[in-house]
Amino acid sequence: MEIKKLIKIWLMYTSRAAQSALLTTGAAILFIVGKIVRFLLFFVFLFAILSASKNLAGYNREQVIFFFLVFTLVDAMVQFLFRGVYHFRPLVVSGDYDLDLMKPLPSFFRPIFGYTDILDFVTLIPLWAYFLWFVFSNHLFTGVGDLILFFLLLFNSLILGFAFHLLVCGVCVLTTEIDHLIMVYRDLTGMAHFPTDIYYKFIQYALTFTVPVVILFTVPAKALLGLLSWQWVILAFVISGVFLWGSFKFWHYALSKYASASS
Amino acid sequence: MKKYLQLAKITFQEYFVYRLNFYLWRFRSFIVFLTLLFFWLAIYGNQSEFLGYQKAQMITYVIGIAFLRTIVLGSRSADLAGQVRSGELTKFFLQPIKIIGFWFTRDVVDKGLNFFFTIIEILAIVWLLRLSFYLPHYLSTYFSFTVLSLMAVFLYFFLSFTLSVIAFWTEEIWATRWLFGVIFLEFLAGAYFPLDVLPSWLTKIIYFTPFPYLVFFPMKVWLEQLTTFEIFKATLICLAWLIFFWWLSTFLWKRGSKNYQAYGN
Repeated sequence: MEIKKLIKIWLMYTSRAAQSALLTTGAAILFIVGKIVRFLLFFVFLFAILSASKNLAGYNREQVIFFFLVFTLVDAMVQFLFRGVYHFRPLVVSGDYDLDLMKPLPSFFRPIFGYTDILDFVTLIPLWAYFLWFVFSNHLFTGVGDLILFFLLLFNSLILGFAFHLLVCGVCVLTTEIDHLIMVYRDLTGMAHFPTDIYYKFIQYALTFTVPVVILFTVPAKALLGLLSWQWVILAFVISGVFLWGSFKFWHYALSKYASASS
Repeated sequence: MKKYLQLAKITFQEYFVYRLNFYLWRFRSFIVFLTLLFFWLAIYGNQSEFLGYQKAQMITYVIGIAFLRTIVLGSRSADLAGQVRSGELTKFFLQPIKIIGFWFTRDVVDKGLNFFFTIIEILAIVWLLRLSFYLPHYLSTYFSFTVLSLMAVFLYFFLSFTLSVIAFWTEEIWATRWLFGVIFLEFLAGAYFPLDVLPSWLTKIIYFTPFPYLVFFPMKVWLEQLTTFEIFKATLICLAWLIFFWWLSTFLWKRGSKNYQAYGN
């Protein structure tokens, strides 16, 4: 019942966000064009790299493109769902967040889910279609078991994405700073455009245990390719669990310091 | 002149009022530099040459990106669009200050401050990782690089100013800047990778846009990969774009400020 209610409210938020995004049609078109151009230019760059090097860290051309597609999918899903974070700072600065705290909703609901990026959803549909076509046409599908594991780890990535965005919201409550921090996350995650195995070991460790880029992007991709050991599967779920727990702890600590300064 | 010096002083002080914001901005710039550096180091591995670039040349290119991002692409004039939409711009019409001078002064302070920290960060990384760095052999290269970089500073200023001034006619100010001032700029300026690693038909098209003259061509000059004729050609094209955007920004500013109705107030 509780979940059903939250989904209903999220759909209401999404509907309003969609209306707001489509209010200026020209701007919506520019955003979609930008997303497509970015994807295409990166794709061309990827081909340029792969034309000079037949494989990357032992992965062949199709596998490297596959990693890039998984990165793009997970990134777009995280942006689609948790875009509210980018709109949270004005709520804190103006003191309007007080009004949300009085509502019978979890305190994190508005900061995280308050704005759904419908334009990311528009790009997600063709992206999923292309991804599935690419996987099956290049014989990258290794079995139903791996497919189930891929979707479980994809869900795990969304949990991890949620945990990181909640952490950033916590920092925002304490400091009213959010923009640079969320962009640091985006810059770091950009390293997963390619299989993270290409990086030095110490960077791989940093990308697994600090900002877990490896768990977010590389692990689901490896699962579908049938390249993931059971130890990594367990580690992925444990890291997400610890990150989620830590983020909630930090969020509640930050809320206890919320001074409603501008109200 | 005195009022612009005072403005520079105030802008400088602003950065130290919002210190966390400044530290995080520096941290982000540092992360952008590191991610790009580690990416290219990983791509090279044990190879000494890749896509026509020696390893030292590519490392120099990445360091050059960090440097040129600071002095060319670092800008405050993007805030002008927000002021147009909020109505905050009204106060500038009442003050004895020229709008282009105002934003250029703020830009200079921003560039200067970030340049100082970027140099420290880059030197620390070069020393820590013992990176080999390409230094030009000819004095004329330093001269050409300085001229082209300075032109790039002005070209970006007027380009960014033009994007901000569009706010006089549009409700949504971020979309235009995001497409032309972020996506096109970062990819087509060569702020991620050297443009000549792309297929030649694509680079030929990109060279017609103003973007490669902001980062890519200054770095090609530094790496001494251009002939005298190519440097001359790049400088002329950059100058043409600079004059065009100077004209466009002042033209749009004059038209826009006449129609300005201070909606946000």
